[in-house]
Amino acid sequence: MLSGVLLLLTTRCDKLEEMPSDFVGPDNFFKSPAQVESAFVSSMQRQWGGWQFYDWMGYPEWPSFDDQLYGGDLVIGDETAGGSWTVHYQAIADLNPAIKAIIDGNLGSGVSQETKDQLLAEARFLRAFNYFWLVRLYGDVPLILENTDVTKDEIVRSPVADVYKQIVEDMLFATQNLPEVQPADNNARPNADVARGMLAKVYITMATAPLNATSNYANARDMAKQVIDGGKYSLVSNVEDVFNMDYEFGSEFMWAWHNSEEEYVIEPQIWLPGEMADGWGDVTAEKIWGEAFPEEPRKHAYLLLDDPWFETGTTYLDWWKSAPYIRKYLYDTPDNMLKNVSYQAQPILRYADVLLLFAEADNMVNGPTQAACDAVNQIVNRATGGVPNPADPLFTTAMSKGDFDDAVINQRSLELCFEYDRWFDICRKRILDKVTDPDYLPNYSVDDYLMPIPQKDLRLNDKLTQNPGYTRP
Amino acid sequence: MKKNLPYLIPIPISGKEKLLMIMKLALIIVFISVLQVSAKTYSQVTVNMNVQDKSIREVLKTIEQQSEVRFFYSDDLVAMNQTIDVSAENKNIISVLDEIFSGTKLTYKTYDNDLIVIAPREFLLQQVSVTGTITDSETSDPLVGVNVVLEGTTIGVMTDINGKFTLSVPNLTGNLRISYIGYVTQTIPINGMRVIDVSLASDLQALEEVVVTGYGTVRRSDLTGSVSSIKTEQLLQLPTQRVDQAIQGRATGVFILNTDGSPGGNTLIRIRGSNSINGGNDPLIIVDGLQGADINQLNPNDIASMEILKDASATAIYGSRGANGVILITTKLGNTGKPVIDAGYSIGLQKLARKLPVMDAASFAKYNNWYHSFDTQDGQTPKYYFTDADIAYYEQNGGTDWQDEVYKLGVMQTANLAISGATDKLKYMVSSGYLDHEGILLNSQYSRFSMRANLAADITKWVDFGLNYSYTSEIYKSPPFNANLFTTVNNAPRWAPTEPVYDENGNYWKHRPGYGAPDTWNPVASALETTIENPTYQNNLNMFLNFKLAKGLSLKIMGGGTFSNEYNNRYDNTKTRDGYAMNGVGNISNSFSNLIQNTNILTYDKTAGAHHITFTGVAEELFSSWFGNSMRGQNFLVDQLGTDNMDGAKSVSVDSWRGERALISFMGRINYGLLDKYLLTLSYRADGSSVFGENNKWGYFPSGSVAWRISQEGFLQDSEVVTDLKLRVSYGVTGNQGISPYGSLARLGSGETYRYPYNNGQNLNIGFGISDIANPNLRWESTAQSDIGVDVSLFKGRLTSTIDVYRKVTDDLLMPRQLPDYVGVSNVIDNIGSIENRGLEIMIGGDPVATSKFRWNTSLNYTMNRNEVLDLGPGVEKIGYTPTSGGYSLGSSYMFLEVGQPFGQMKGFKYLGLWGANEDAEARAYGQLPGLPKYADISGPDGVPDGTVNELDKTTIGYGYPDFQIGWTNLVTYSNFELSFLITGAYGQDLFNTLRIRRETYEGTDPKVWNYWTTENQDTDVPARYDGAWVQAQNLTNKYLFGNSSGASSRWVEDASFTRLKTITLAYNFDKTLLTKIGFTKARLYFTGTNLVTITKYSGYDPEIAQFPNNDATIGIDQSVYPTSRMYTFGADFTF
Repeated sequence: MLSGVLLLLTTRCDKLEEMPSDFVGPDNFFKSPAQVESAFVSSMQRQWGGWQFYDWMGYPEWPSFDDQLYGGDLVIGDETAGGSWTVHYQAIADLNPAIKAIIDGNLGSGVSQETKDQLLAEARFLRAFNYFWLVRLYGDVPLILENTDVTKDEIVRSPVADVYKQIVEDMLFATQNLPEVQPADNNARPNADVARGMLAKVYITMATAPLNATSNYANARDMAKQVIDGGKYSLVSNVEDVFNMDYEFGSEFMWAWHNSEEEYVIEPQIWLPGEMADGWGDVTAEKIWGEAFPEEPRKHAYLLLDDPWFETGTTYLDWWKSAPYIRKYLYDTPDNMLKNVSYQAQPILRYADVLLLFAEADNMVNGPTQAACDAVNQIVNRATGGVPNPADPLFTTAMSKGDFDDAVINQRSLELCFEYDRWFDICRKRILDKVTDPDYLPNYSVDDYLMPIPQKDLRLNDKLTQNPGYTRP
Repeated sequence: MKKNLPYLIPIPISGKEKLLMIMKLALIIVFISVLQVSAKTYSQVTVNMNVQDKSIREVLKTIEQQSEVRFFYSDDLVAMNQTIDVSAENKNIISVLDEIFSGTKLTYKTYDNDLIVIAPREFLLQQVSVTGTITDSETSDPLVGVNVVLEGTTIGVMTDINGKFTLSVPNLTGNLRISYIGYVTQTIPINGMRVIDVSLASDLQALEEVVVTGYGTVRRSDLTGSVSSIKTEQLLQLPTQRVDQAIQGRATGVFILNTDGSPGGNTLIRIRGSNSINGGNDPLIIVDGLQGADINQLNPNDIASMEILKDASATAIYGSRGANGVILITTKLGNTGKPVIDAGYSIGLQKLARKLPVMDAASFAKYNNWYHSFDTQDGQTPKYYFTDADIAYYEQNGGTDWQDEVYKLGVMQTANLAISGATDKLKYMVSSGYLDHEGILLNSQYSRFSMRANLAADITKWVDFGLNYSYTSEIYKSPPFNANLFTTVNNAPRWAPTEPVYDENGNYWKHRPGYGAPDTWNPVASALETTIENPTYQNNLNMFLNFKLAKGLSLKIMGGGTFSNEYNNRYDNTKTRDGYAMNGVGNISNSFSNLIQNTNILTYDKTAGAHHITFTGVAEELFSSWFGNSMRGQNFLVDQLGTDNMDGAKSVSVDSWRGERALISFMGRINYGLLDKYLLTLSYRADGSSVFGENNKWGYFPSGSVAWRISQEGFLQDSEVVTDLKLRVSYGVTGNQGISPYGSLARLGSGETYRYPYNNGQNLNIGFGISDIANPNLRWESTAQSDIGVDVSLFKGRLTSTIDVYRKVTDDLLMPRQLPDYVGVSNVIDNIGSIENRGLEIMIGGDPVATSKFRWNTSLNYTMNRNEVLDLGPGVEKIGYTPTSGGYSLGSSYMFLEVGQPFGQMKGFKYLGLWGANEDAEARAYGQLPGLPKYADISGPDGVPDGTVNELDKTTIGYGYPDFQIGWTNLVTYSNFELSFLITGAYGQDLFNTLRIRRETYEGTDPKVWNYWTTENQDTDVPARYDGAWVQAQNLTNKYLFGNSSGASSRWVEDASFTRLKTITLAYNFDKTLLTKIGFTKARLYFTGTNLVTITKYSGYDPEIAQFPNNDATIGIDQSVYPTSRMYTFGADFTF
């Protein structure tokens, strides 16, 4: 012991150097395809897991301002929607170093060019996906395409058009380089059709507000058509099965947020009324919107109007807010609902969406074509169970272009409800004042189409501008 | 004979284990002394022998063969091999032995049972008696328990109740050293006298009291810094089981926060406020020179003294680790004299100190029905959960009182045993302690076994050696508790009293929707079916060699280490809420850590005329490393095996970690005294720490202080009133390096929070994402502190006082610098911001009554600290925290650090009571009605009230830290009785009572919900209830737009000021004269009450308790932590 003490006397200052052994830094990583893929994984988790954002409906963020979710009073405070900003930029910060590493050739010659291109395509697709979300919510946003560096403070908001330009570039690259089919054990990853479908949505958004670059309708139609013609996807025939957990990898779900048995992230109590399985009733439909939903099989598949599981004999009128609840995310077993766990996936892109995109775009290019009607009528027929429903009629070429367009947007509202889609439709079609509950209308302003830039970022960067209608600190 | 005493005979051993041998020897000596009863007459024993040139060893063997006598000696005694001649014919054994040993270094001593011990002369001396009486020089009262020791030997006794002593000495030469605490030690030559009476002069000023300071000691009179001392006698007066409790209320400038009341639960110690936001505010704890100890692993009985270093003059010597104050603990060594055994036992019974009021089942059912009878909005028909028959049943049979179900009588037992003693070359203390504490909450328990061996030896004239070894094993068990919904502590006072514990099949009763709060779980199941067991094992060892190189010059080389293993096991079986959801969840973590320290201290001490100078130079190195791993399993095939069968879990995830940090330091200090009047201390320390950025590894910490002993000046020297008066001024800089290592490096995060099932949704894929970015400029947090203090002692020490004022400014706060979120990383650890602490500390103590029979010693201390955030970095005015989890409508930040405000600031909506019946119109303007809560409309977008209560109307609604606190200790001695008590108090702090948010709502169980507002009953805080349909018909527009943080309201913030009789002890010390007859020197019986009386307005379990959610900025939230208990302890201490 004492001799050890004497040894210690010879102190050396190099002991102050730090050599971490239980973590890596971004500069000594991304040297193999698997390491690059780990960045994709992290970028998805940022948006999904751990009660962060999408896993519980972004509650109580921006989705509630649409006409579907309860409580959309259009009182949009300066702190609203900060969560979306954070998670998407986190995901981008994960992806940029991976993109740089591939471009810099860090993967080495042992990895084939095809693999490198596929990885780059996936990285760029994911990044574009995040920017697509950001640009729709906030308008002009900082376009950060390089590695995180704090010393750099020349960050300003790039115009919406520039952001879309980058998104289109990245997504086009993805449509050309992503595999047509991901390996079976990896099919939760996006493939080329997912990129095409998402790009169709990008184009149609560009064709509408705020850019109104209508030439993109044709691009949107072409992209959607490629997916339809590819024939890999189709609608699930029974509307009750759309959210059935057996169908989470097709034929209709193209890309989704997934859960695994190792980590459940959704608590079904969020969606359940207090009368059932100790529900918390956090998220309900807007009463007017829910009651106006046409009576048809789809209504009962997507909305919760009574108790199908626990024999409480209650209906939505007995429940806390006397409004229909959301059933789309209550397709796990009643036993799991009691345990307050759910392994259910939430779709990001469904084939139904691609059909609707095609129909909308084709109509805007050519007027109501038979192809457009056929596409959208697949959805209507499934919704009604094939029984003609005057409240939810089939589309015909006899409709005017304008009526057809309105009807498609309405059909999107019904079919894609509570899938983070309605708010963006309202914004790009500029119909917020038309669809908002009259009670909330006094709160409406044209500024509501954009969310505020977060106060924290404004405070820390003078060069960032704030969107109209909001204050800066 | 030897075979009969196998364990007592030292076996020759290798040099490496010499140390162990010395300890064993010490134990043997102790043991033999204990065995000593009365010597048997050996007069009948005779010896018959005639030998030449035989070793003593052989001669004694022959004697053993001839008689019943057995000799006992160490094999190591070389002198036993000396050869002698013996010629004896039926000679008495005693005279034979006298003859044998006359020419040797050895001697013998006879014992009962024919046992004769042979040992070197200095161990066993022949005896002549010296007697005498020791008295107080002023009062002539006899002094009891005075140490009388023959200098240079182990021979010593204590005076009896009459002040008398009888000491057996080998001859009438040498000196007697007479020492007594509080008196000046005297040395008297025996000089042939058989009766020596001495009167001792009292030393009330305790001028010679030595205070332990960093890397040395100093006479209290020479101290220039602010140091509070707590001595062992003070600790023994009010028995405590934990060291942190022992500090509570006894020292100024120290704030102790109980973060929970569980057995073995945590406390926070803050010295002179909180300096840091992220660097940690825990003081540095040093036990016998070894840094970074865990204070709760210490057995309080082992402590000789504790010094709390507060100002920079005292703490700067610890440089980068001194900013939060330093607690120096010195453990005991034996005193010269016969070996002493201290033994103690206590048993304490505990119960929940305060039960929260709850409704009985019938009342709850009626309230529930009443509440729901108003549910008529949107055309609803009210739904009643309880029928009249149900209510009648509850009225007849009662329901469940959940607090009675989960809280029980707790039992705490302690046992201590210590042996200590000293020879002139060796001092030792060996102790062990056991604490077993079964808590008041079901399934909670803490046990601690501790062992210590201290040794100090003079090896040669110029080398001393010292060793401290301690071992502690602790096991902590408790059901989880905190504000998290579903925990037992949180749920017990809010689970419906109508629900039974078990159903008719003996299974735990499950919650029925509508019958009380939905986000809860059977509290008994949560307590009993969650298994938490956390054992910790720690070894501490340090040793030193002290070389006296020349007169006044010494070099002390110290090396030591702390080696700990910590294990955490938790299993939530399928009867718990988490276990039910995941079919059993188990977590295991194992961690191992080492801290190695080497300290080298060079001291030079010189007195020349009026000058006294001490120079201290230190070179020190600390190196710590740790590693660990953890496992988490869920979905267990066999529920009852739990974490003992992790491979029975369907899904298992693992993690592992490793890290290290190093600190290299050099320090110099000069203490200079002129005429014992003018004192100066200067110190400078350089610290190199591995945890900082490439460019800033080294930090430098200077300090200086001066003191003037005014009482030594001519004009005061002969004062009858002023005995001592000293003025102190100090200034210095200390640092804080309390961040995790590698904080300056960029890092990719991995693990569970980065994983996502890309792999077909079956398993989680491994993810790596950016978690930290690099900051090569990261450096120390530094605190500059100035202090002015006065020490006064009046009337020969009958009245003493110490007053200090200080100001501390901490700059370069180690804090996450916020980054714009578009960076993707929300912050980077950096040095920004500044915090100030100012304070006043007053201690007044004295002996108002001091006669020989009746004595009252009292000490009152007052501590005030004001804390203010000066700066939080560019562009940051405030930082918000949400220390609670969901379920309380506290979705956005409600605790804030804000420039210009102190730590612990709560912000939210200001509750103004309920709208009065005469305020109908005003209420309606806000969409409210009379009887509904009224909140202050303070501001709007234009800075003026705008008719809407929203985010802009949030204001300060409370402060978590007290304005001031007091501690008042008292010791009253009357004859053999001793009464001591400690009163503590803290005033001006608020607590956010989160539990009330849930207990006073529609699902509430608090009986006060019945006291709802009506036009006839307006003097209440419980809102009115209106018919839902009627309210809708009023077409009100709600202007109370709280978003998701309606709970952030001053309605739940309460004044948590309190005055508490913390402990009271009544002890009886048995008469010494009586005790000596049975071989005891001390016997003491005591009864202690803890937390017997608390005066407070706070309505929660305890105003003194608040969970610490990892940040000093968020102190002030009552988060349903394990509640405090009231304890009654009986105990006994013996010394013999």
